[in-house]
Parts: sequence; C-alpha cells; structure tokens
Amino acid sequence: MSEDGKALIFDIQRFSMHDGPGIRTVVFFKGCSLDCRWCHNPEAVKAHYELAYYADRCIEGCRDCLPSCPEQALDDRIENRVDFSRCTDCGDCVDVCPADALSLVGRRMNCEDLLGEIEKDRSFFASSGGGVTLSGGEPVLQWRFLADFLPLLRERGIHTAIETCGAYPRELIQSVAPLVDLVLFDLKIMDSDKHRQLTGKRNEEVLANLRYLAGQGAALEVRMPVVPELNTSRENIEATCRFLAEAGIERLTLLPYNHLWEAKLPRLASNRKALGIAPPDGPFYGELSETFSRMGLEATV
Amino acid sequence: MGFVFTMRTEGSEESPAQGARSHASARGLHPAAAAESPGSVRDVHPAAPVEATGSEPYMARLSRIRTALLDAPYSLCSSKAELITEYFRGHCPLPGLTRVLAPIHFKGLSRALYDNLRHGTPQSKWQIQLSNGLQSLYRELEGWSATRPLIVDYAHALAYVLERQELIIYDDELIVGNLSSQRIGAPIHPDLGGILLLAELEDLDRREVNPIRISAGQRRRLEEEVFPFWFTRSILARAPLFATDPQLQNTLMAGRRFILTQFAGISHVTPDYQSIIEKGFSGMLAEIRDAKRELHERRSRNGAGSNGPNGAGFDGTRSNGAGYSSAGGEQEGFYEAAEITLRAGIAFAERWSDRCRLEAGRCKDPHRARELLELAEIFRRVPAGPAETFHEALQSLFTAHVIVHQESFQHGVSFGRIDQYLYPYYRRDLEAGKITPGRAIELLGCFLGKAAEQLPLFNTMATEYFSGLSSASGLTLGGTDSEGRDASNELSLLLLRAYDHMRLRQPNLHLRVHPDSSAELLDLAYETLKKGGGMPAFFNDEAIVPALEKLGASHEHACDYAVVGCVEWGIARRSFPAAGAAFLSLPAVLDDILHPPKGAGASYRSMEEIAVAFEKALQYMVQEAVDGNDSIEKAHAAFRPTPFLSTIVDGCITKGRDVTAGGALYNSSGMQGVGLADVADSLTAIEQLVFEEKRLSLSELMNAVDDDFRAGPGQEKLRVRLAVKVPKYGQQSGRAEYWAARIARMYCATVRPHGNPRGGPYAPGFWTMTTHVGFGARLGALPSGRHAGRPLCDGISPANGADRFGPTASLMSAVAASGDHVANGAALNEKLDPLYLQGEAGNRLMDGLTRGYFSAGGMQVQYNIIDPTVLIDAKAHPERHRDLVVRISGYSAYFNDLTEAMKDDIIARSLHGAPGGPACMDVRPADSLHATLDVSTQVDHNADDESGSAVSVSEQAYPSADDKSGRTVDVSGQVDHNADDESDGAVENSRR
Repeated sequence: MSEDGKALIFDIQRFSMHDGPGIRTVVFFKGCSLDCRWCHNPEAVKAHYELAYYADRCIEGCRDCLPSCPEQALDDRIENRVDFSRCTDCGDCVDVCPADALSLVGRRMNCEDLLGEIEKDRSFFASSGGGVTLSGGEPVLQWRFLADFLPLLRERGIHTAIETCGAYPRELIQSVAPLVDLVLFDLKIMDSDKHRQLTGKRNEEVLANLRYLAGQGAALEVRMPVVPELNTSRENIEATCRFLAEAGIERLTLLPYNHLWEAKLPRLASNRKALGIAPPDGPFYGELSETFSRMGLEATV
Repeated sequence: MGFVFTMRTEGSEESPAQGARSHASARGLHPAAAAESPGSVRDVHPAAPVEATGSEPYMARLSRIRTALLDAPYSLCSSKAELITEYFRGHCPLPGLTRVLAPIHFKGLSRALYDNLRHGTPQSKWQIQLSNGLQSLYRELEGWSATRPLIVDYAHALAYVLERQELIIYDDELIVGNLSSQRIGAPIHPDLGGILLLAELEDLDRREVNPIRISAGQRRRLEEEVFPFWFTRSILARAPLFATDPQLQNTLMAGRRFILTQFAGISHVTPDYQSIIEKGFSGMLAEIRDAKRELHERRSRNGAGSNGPNGAGFDGTRSNGAGYSSAGGEQEGFYEAAEITLRAGIAFAERWSDRCRLEAGRCKDPHRARELLELAEIFRRVPAGPAETFHEALQSLFTAHVIVHQESFQHGVSFGRIDQYLYPYYRRDLEAGKITPGRAIELLGCFLGKAAEQLPLFNTMATEYFSGLSSASGLTLGGTDSEGRDASNELSLLLLRAYDHMRLRQPNLHLRVHPDSSAELLDLAYETLKKGGGMPAFFNDEAIVPALEKLGASHEHACDYAVVGCVEWGIARRSFPAAGAAFLSLPAVLDDILHPPKGAGASYRSMEEIAVAFEKALQYMVQEAVDGNDSIEKAHAAFRPTPFLSTIVDGCITKGRDVTAGGALYNSSGMQGVGLADVADSLTAIEQLVFEEKRLSLSELMNAVDDDFRAGPGQEKLRVRLAVKVPKYGQQSGRAEYWAARIARMYCATVRPHGNPRGGPYAPGFWTMTTHVGFGARLGALPSGRHAGRPLCDGISPANGADRFGPTASLMSAVAASGDHVANGAALNEKLDPLYLQGEAGNRLMDGLTRGYFSAGGMQVQYNIIDPTVLIDAKAHPERHRDLVVRISGYSAYFNDLTEAMKDDIIARSLHGAPGGPACMDVRPADSLHATLDVSTQVDHNADDESGSAVSVSEQAYPSADDKSGRTVDVSGQVDHNADDESDGAVENSRR
C-alpha cells in the first residue's frame, strides 16, 4: 500500500464536528476491507483511482471529452456518458472536462502533502480541542503509511482519532492503535452470517479486534451505524449489548442513517443497489436508545 | 406618540398618524400589512427578541420603544439646514459683490449640476472653469470683508441651532435628545454635500430604494432658500478650489474607479465623551481658559508669531497648512469658538431641563411625570457639570452626541469604549443601592434606541455604494487595558443584554477579543449572534494594536482603540481618523492594465510584468484619490470648521486648532481597497490558464472577458472552467491567497506613505460597506469568471460561492491578507449555518472559530447566522420581515432597507456558507454557484404575484432549508455535499 511512502486519499474535509471532539479535519483514505451495502462513501471501497462522472455538472452540448478517451468509453449522452465497462480509470478525460463532470476519485499524497493540508487548521484544533480524524474507506489498511505519518502529528501535538471497521488482521491495529489518541470503532451487526451478507465479510475478526482494543485500555468509542431494519432488530440489539458488556464497554454511539449516498451511485462504476430505506424521523432514535438503555447500555445519538 | 413641543414645525403638513401610514407604503409595504397591529410583525420573524412577557418591567418599556422605532417613518430633517441658513443670512453679511453674483451663479449653473446628478451628464469644461473662477472670487471677497474668523461664525451658528431646535420627548424614554427633528430622521447638510440631493428632492419620497418623506414646505424651503445660499459656499462647491483635477466632480460621478465621501462631511470619529461625562462642559471651559492663559504667556515670552505647540500628528510627514489657509488654524479664534459652543451646550441643557419640567406638568401619569422631573433635574447638572450617577452619565453622553450631530455630518460618530467609561458610574450606583442590573439594562436599552433614531441622507448613487441606511455609529465593548489585562466588566454584559432587547440596526456593536477575554462575555456574544442580526462583530486586540502602533500610535493609545463606524480601528478620543474618506476599486485597476490604450499593445509575458503594471496603475489611482481627498479636507479646514467636536477630540484645545485643521493628536484619513478577492482570483486565473497550463493566450482570455463570456459555448465552457477548476481566494489552495496577500500589501504600501493636509498619514483598509455593489455595477467581466455588472467581493471576504471548503479555509485565507499593514480596518463576512450552532456545542464551535482565527493573526470577523430561506421569504414578502436585521458589511441593516442588488448579494452569501471538502466527489458545479443571482431575480418577479404561488416559486428556485439548500449536511464519516443534484436541478428549472 505504501511502498512509495504515499497514501491514497479521496477527500479531506475541514471543519468537521461529528467525528471526535472539537473542530476536526477528516482525512478519508481510499480502499476498504468491507463493502457494506449501506456504505455512505461508495467511492471509498476500491483501493485505486477511479473515474466518477457527474451528469449534473455536464455542460449541455459539450462534447470536448469524447476524443480524449483512448478506450472510446465516452458517449455524448449526458445521463450516461461513461461506459464504465470499458473505462480503465486512466483519467485522460479529466483535464479536458471544463466542468469537473469527469473527475478522478483519489489522489496519492505523501506525509508532507497531507501534513500541509492538516496544518492549515492547526490553530482551530488548538482553540476548539479538535484535531485530525482518519476515516475512509478503512484507514488501517494503509497502516504502513500511518506508521510514518501518525508520529508526525503526535510530535506536533495534534490530537488524532481513527475511524475503523475492524475487519483486518490483529497486527494492523496493533501497530496503529498506540499511535492515535482515540479509536472510533464501528460495530455493525452481531450475527456473523448476516454480517457477511451485508458487508461481504464475517465479523469474527472485527469482534476480536474490538475485544483486543478494549482489553488494551485504548481510548475507544464504539459506534453503530444504524441501518433501519437491517441492524435494529431486537436480537441484534441484545447481542450487541451482551458483547459490549463482556468486553467491558459501557457506551455506544448511534450514527443516524441517511440515504444521501444513493445519489452517488450513478456516478461510479458500482454495481451496488440503492437500499430505498427512508431516514427515520425524530422519535426513532430516542426509542432506539431507550431500548439499549433498558438492556443496560448507554446509547446516545 | 409623544407630545411634540414645537418651536419650529417641519413635516407638519401631515399628522403623525398619516405619517405612519405613508411610511408603510414608502417602505414598500402592502397597505394591508401596514394596517395590522405593530405586534403582529414580531410573530413572524423567528429571530425576534425576547418578548415583553418577562417579569422584568423594563422589558415592556424597551419593547414599546422598539415597536415605536420600527413603526416610525423615515423622514427628511431639514431643520438644521434651515436654521444655519437663517443664521448666516441674518448675521454674517456677504460681501456686496457676492450678494449680486451668487444668485446669478446659482441660476446659471445649478441646472448643470442637476443634470450631472440626475442623468450623469458631465459638467462642461467652461461651466467648471466659470464656477471655479467665481469661487475664487468669493473667497477673496470673504477674506477682505471678514470681521471675525469663520470658525466663530460657525460656533454662533451652532448656538443658534441649539437655541431653536425643537425639543421632542417621546413616550417611555428615559434618555432624551433628538439627533434630528424626526423620530427617525435623515438630516440634510447643505453646508457640506447636501446639494447632492438637488436633483432628488422632487421624488425623494417616491424613489424606489429608501424613500424618505419630505413635505412640500421642506422642499420649497430647501430649493428656494437653502440651496441657493449654499450653492456657492458648501464643501461640495469649494473643494474644487484645492483640486488638482478640475474635473473632480465628473470623475466621481463616474463612480467606476474610486469614490470620495468627505464632500458629505468628515465625521468618522470617536469623540472624547468620557471627558464630558467626567468634567462637564464647565470643566472643558476651564481647560480652554488654561490653554488660553498658556498661549498668552508663551506669546509674551517668545514675542508674537509663535505657532504654538505642534502636535504629534500621525507621522507628521507633512507640515500642516501648507498651501492653504484654515479657518480653524488660528488659536484665538478657535478658543473663542469652542467657548461659544460649550456655553451654547450648557444653555441647550437648560432648555431641555425646562422642557422636561413642562412636560412633567402636563403629564397625567404620575409615574411618568416623576421620570420627567428626574430628567429635568439631571439636565440641571449635566452636561454642564460632571455626572454623578449612571443615568446622568448616559444623558450627558447622549446630549454631547446630539450636539455633535447638530454641528456636522452624522456618519460614523462613535461612542468608543462605553463599557469602560460608564462602568465607574454603574459601580458606584450599584454599591449605593441606587441601581439594579435590570434598571441599567432599561437605561442602556433606551440609549441604544436613541442612537438608532437617525439615517444618513444619501442620493440614489450613494445609496448603491452605502446601502442599508447605516449611520455607522460604533460602540465598542471588551478589550484590554494598556497592561494587556482583560478590561471587560459587568456593564459589557449588560450592554449585550440591552441590545438583545432592542435588536435595531444600529448602533454597531463591536467586541474586542484577546486571549484572556471573559468566557462569559463571549458566550453571551455568541448567544446574541445566534438569534441573527450580525452583532456584535469581533476584533482581535493582538493583531490590531500592532497595526495602530505601526501607524504611529503610542502603545498606551493603541491599546485604548475603539472601533469607528463599521470596522475601522481607531484611537479613541485622541484622533480624527476620517476613516471613511475614500474607496478604491482594485479590480478597476486590473481592468485598466488589461485594457491598455489602443496602440500601446501591452502583451504581458509573465505574471511579474502584470504585477508591475498593476502596481504602477495602482500608484496612479491612489495619487488621484489622495489629491481629490486632500482638496476636500482642505476645503473643510478652510470653510467648515467644527469647533464643538474639536473640544472633545484630544489635542485640539492644547494646540488651539480645529480638528479639520489637524488639531487632534492623531490625524489619519482612511482609504479602502475594494474587491481584493476579485483581483486575487483574476490573477490566479491568468497565472494558471495562460502561463502555467498555456491553455489559451492572455488576449484570448481578454476577448472572452470583453464578451462577458457570452459569445458562444466556448466562452461559457471557459467561464465554467474558471469557476470550477481554478482555485479561488477563500479555499486556501495557495496561489489565490498568495496574490491576495501580495496585492493587499502592495495596496497598503502604496497608500501609507501619502500624507493628508492635517499632517497625518493615509491609512489603508479593506472594508466596503456596499461599494462593492456600486463599483461592480460599473465594471465589465473579470478574468476570474465574474460576469459584468455583478457585485465585487465585500471586505476581505472571498467571492460568493468560493468559500466551499468551509469557514476555516476562508478565515485562514483572510489571515493571509491581514497584518499590521492593515491600518484602517478590514471586514470579513463569515456566514454560518444556524443548523450547526445549536446549544452549548454551537457556542464552543463559534468560540473555536473565533479564537482559532485570531490566534492565527486574523483581525476582524462578523458572523451572519441566518437561514437563507428566511431571506428569500423576506425578499418576496417584505411586510413579514420588517425587523429582520442582517449583517451587511461593518454594520447591520434592516433587510427591507437594502437595494435589490444588495438583497441578492446577501442571499447569495448565505446560500453557500456551508462547510465542505475539496477534491473529488463533491465539488459543487460552477453553475449553481454563479446562477444564484439570476435565480433571485426570478424570485422577485414572481413575488409580485398576489397568490401563494410566490412562495412555492421561491421554494422551487431556492431549495428549501432541509436537505436541498446546496448546503453540506455534515454527517459523521460521510463525504457528501447533499443535493448537488436537486439544487442544480432547481436552478436549471428556474432558468428555463
């Protein structure tokens, strides 16, 4: 992943407030070990550059990109300009497009580049008790890069958090966890078969890694991305509570579901399907955390 | 409606009740809405202040005063104009020849001025020459025939006004005094630039934007008596005598490259109200006596001819008075005049005392009668003598403020560090058990209401540049003492609370912040801001004090800075900073060098060549503006001294010299650079597309610019590329910030070495009021992709829509352009989405932003926290949002008082104030960024519909607030700028 000392990043969001304390810069790493059906960032899954096409940005009547494609993967229909089956993600069309309707998701950044982006908001980290959150994708997969990079942040006194799904061998988190100040750990669904069905992988590794982190006494926030119906069943809630109690974890953060990711699908070479789940309204989360608390787990939205 | 004690009536052709109705229609309200009870308005706006339902009785009083002020019509105040005309006609006989020539002069040439003002027809060369020739003659004749210094005439004129000005007491008020003779009045100053209204009196009450009521009698008196008299002797008339450019008036009317404001008056000052409160007018008179004695002693020691002490003017780069004579430069005359005005002030307070007693006698409500008797007693003591109580201090302060306003122009006359100098009186009363915090809020609320009772009177052109009707009275809270310790106190909090009850458009609230600022004070400020209104604004002591020191202030005086008017950091009480003197359009400079005269054939081979050409053209334009402003300031010194104001600006009494002639300890003139971000974005675009990517040649780019990017699909693609693929100032990508910083420093380094006629420096700043709209309307397209005629960027803010990487990126971009070179203020508009700011977490967020920005070197920031849908609704339905206050530039205004262009600008600002991320999945399409103004125009057309369809159209055109507004929804761990699709779709739809 990091043979050249570079990470594959697909976005950097400044002034983020929901992924750790204070004003934060969130770095989104590209490439993930899971492929969750509700994933908010479908462009994060593949560990390589990929072309994205935004039909809404395309300029009516503009055909500038067509000759630029060596694979003849471009067509002049606005709604469906890219034939993703032929596209090799070479990016030759990107520079030609004046409107950024064609763009490459992902850029390779070395420690220095990334540090430069992060340091732009350093005074706000200091003034708000914020810092950096590594997200994705699955940042831990780029652990070699992180082993170089995280110490640079620590040297500078910048608070670090990492958002992780836990689906990777223990060694990876073992090398990364000591270098961060806070681990935000996603716990999706307890039944391993269902886990495989919905995310592409069984969850034994995930649970083992979570148990390990809890055992190490790492600063840990366990979070459950709520997907109505898929992981809000009574059985799953009970199993979650049981597991966390055994691991000695007393709190759970519920991440509300939103469906905005579905708008991203047509832009990508993705065979993922829209779930068509409507975001639940207000009382839903209150009731959900009630249910958790009746089972002895403090769950907050 | 309060009882009106009428010595002179004006606007009396209408009864107050009629006035209220005609006001409603004058402000563009539907008659039906105006007929509703005043209370109904406040049910609509979500940001309405705490209602008068609380247990504290003061809330009810403040609420009633607030309603009365919101209901009051905007009216012309001509009483001062008429009184000084009367005085000069009766008491200062003109030389015989002038008496003969001046009326002929007026008859012959006023039409040319009318056409110039009304239709922009330039005045011809011979008209200008003839006029200037006659002016020189009048001046000669005046010089021969004068029996006493002009400054003494003006002192008597002020006394005459104070003896005769009607004294009006309104219901409920605990602080009295009238900034004008109307509840909300726009005074006209014929002795300064009032004649600029010459061409507009006929439809002043019918003009589209900011109609002002004028009675037939007022108009007749102004046109027949006032204007003919001042036509030949106002500042507007006399400034050309000192101008190097005889075409100055024509240049200014073009309004494309720069504008000069001080025709209208200098003002923009923080007077030493503290001394009035502490010493009273009698104390000031004693000081003048001492100064006079000293002068005589010195004279007798040194023999005649000594010029007295030469004050440590800012920098002192120029000798004062070179090449022109000043009316206020002669010491005996100055002292005599100052004494006349102070005595007149004492007599004025006695009139007020009698007036309050009389009113008390007539009052049927015994409680109110007691209040009025108390006021009568207060006026017996202040401002003649030192104040003893908090109430006395406030009344003394406001009375002095009124007198300043009766003397001269009313723009930017600021209160300074009011929580500092009033605190001892509050403390003393509190300890003596004479006051409670609630009573203090009540008194402060009354005071804030009084300060909102005036408007500037702008002609239509000036309205474009200074939309929002702000008189820009600044009021500064917080900050440090000279040792760097936090100086805020309980009164700072009480003032914010009082503001929270009033929520009027002025005065401007400014909060000085430093690392040890009280958390309680800042939290209250955030809470206050979260309800809308844009006040207070934040100022960074750590960055501003060094900038003032660099301008020449001592450390102690720099630490005592207060904000003048909008955002101009100035030395309080000791300076005459003339902070709003000039505004220069930086993009016009760029436009000039990219369009070299035919034959010059400039083709730039590198960015350096462009930068060099820009600097040269900038130097030329700054020189022009300096020459123009110098001539105006010289005219003020020669013809319109302000002796009363001079007694309350430190330095004048010691030097025996008027403020207009350099009497203050510090004397600068403010010169603002407008459109910094437009220049930075344009240079970045040229650099990237022409010189780096070599995508097209400069002349190809300029052809598209000249075609306004509208000649064919190729140009539209180019414009989209400019908008989407070229980084903008505000995104912290590097190059745009580099150019912004370089141009900012270049501008400051160009302006700063110039000296003004008062012996001080020109002080560069970056704030705009709404000059960015006026300049923008007169400028073609720019290489940044901005279309012709669109507003430029305001203050040091990024272009609308460019701030899509969130507030921290735009704040840090502003830091790049900031530094101690910015001597006269900078305004950064930062819009925040109310969605993020709820509760205590919202306060922490604002605190993190503000303190983080300041610790990095930011100088000033003002937050507009408003839901764009409210603004859109307010544009469509002004009657529902009469009290909607929005931040404009360094000041706030009622949304309804803005020009249509400015309303659109504010809406566009608020639509794209969302945090976001760079790179791949989420760059918002260019079209939606730039199409918003088109859309808003669309909304406006539809808004005229009677039916509810206007609402649905506006909701369609502007996505509604939930998840379609083009705003980012910050969802944990998710990269998405929601609804690109929906919002663009809506834009597309509305265009079709």
